[in-house]
Amino acid sequence: MIPFERDESRVIRASLTSPESSLIGSLADQIAGMLGELIEVPQFEDPDAAALYASVGIGGSSTLHSDPAIARLLPNAYADAEAAGDFRRLTERSLATRKVENARIVIQSLEAAEQAGGELALDDAQAQAWLRALADIRLTIAARLGIEADGDEGGDDDASLALRDVYDWLAWVTDSLIEAIEDPGRIDAAGQAGQTSATGEAGTTSEPGTTGTTGTTED
Amino acid sequence: MTKTLERPELREDSATASQLDTPWVTLVWNDPVNLMSYVSYVFRSYFGFSKEEADRRMLQVHNDGRAVVATGSREQMEVHVEAMHDFGLWATLQQVDA
Repeated sequence: MIPFERDESRVIRASLTSPESSLIGSLADQIAGMLGELIEVPQFEDPDAAALYASVGIGGSSTLHSDPAIARLLPNAYADAEAAGDFRRLTERSLATRKVENARIVIQSLEAAEQAGGELALDDAQAQAWLRALADIRLTIAARLGIEADGDEGGDDDASLALRDVYDWLAWVTDSLIEAIEDPGRIDAAGQAGQTSATGEAGTTSEPGTTGTTGTTED
Repeated sequence: MTKTLERPELREDSATASQLDTPWVTLVWNDPVNLMSYVSYVFRSYFGFSKEEADRRMLQVHNDGRAVVATGSREQMEVHVEAMHDFGLWATLQQVDA
């Protein structure tokens, strides 16, 4: 993968291999499927009733889900069980719906990238959906690996190690996306693109607008 | 980059002043999954913290297990908590001194 970078027209671009694209697409699809089950609208005879039901956004459950991944994606908002239940009933469905929508945006943009030879192009709204979906994917993988506290590594069987590689790779993808999102884009003169201050961590930053004309003459 | 630099300081003062009864706080809790760079980005982009302030609170989450990121009315804090859940951060609200 060639990491995310913001181009001159403020589009955020990355280049993905086909396996990378399939992997992220499949994980996003799993999130959409897992949370999609929670937000299925009951069958109504009257289409207006169905529309009304969907628009109100309520209908969530009242307790933390028993699946640890779902529990982590849709956590309690209050320590108090009753307040948490009340809040969950009012908000869980809309929260899950937004997460499913983010996952679908990832899938759609990957499909568009496939048509473009692996060149992924995101506007700012799509990049925000990607950022949130990547977090949801990593949280889900962590729940599956049993990563619950700082320092947990997950299991050391082959399947866990493979999943752990994906998890770590997605962290790198996330970092790359944050840097691209915060890059204001190239401004004519180098140096005015100032405030990016990439997080100072290891090397994948791309310098905005280097002109190459300043300084170093060799005599 | 749209919202990042508009509000360099926390809205604590104004929000607290306008609140007659006991204020509520939004807490973000540590988790082993979300990257420090990501948590700091969320604090900058959503709450409008400066980089220094966002990093300070991110490290507070990391080191102390949690940090207060907003203070105000219960309704405001519920909006913030839901936004944090959108980002995949683990957040709760509670009344001060509750």
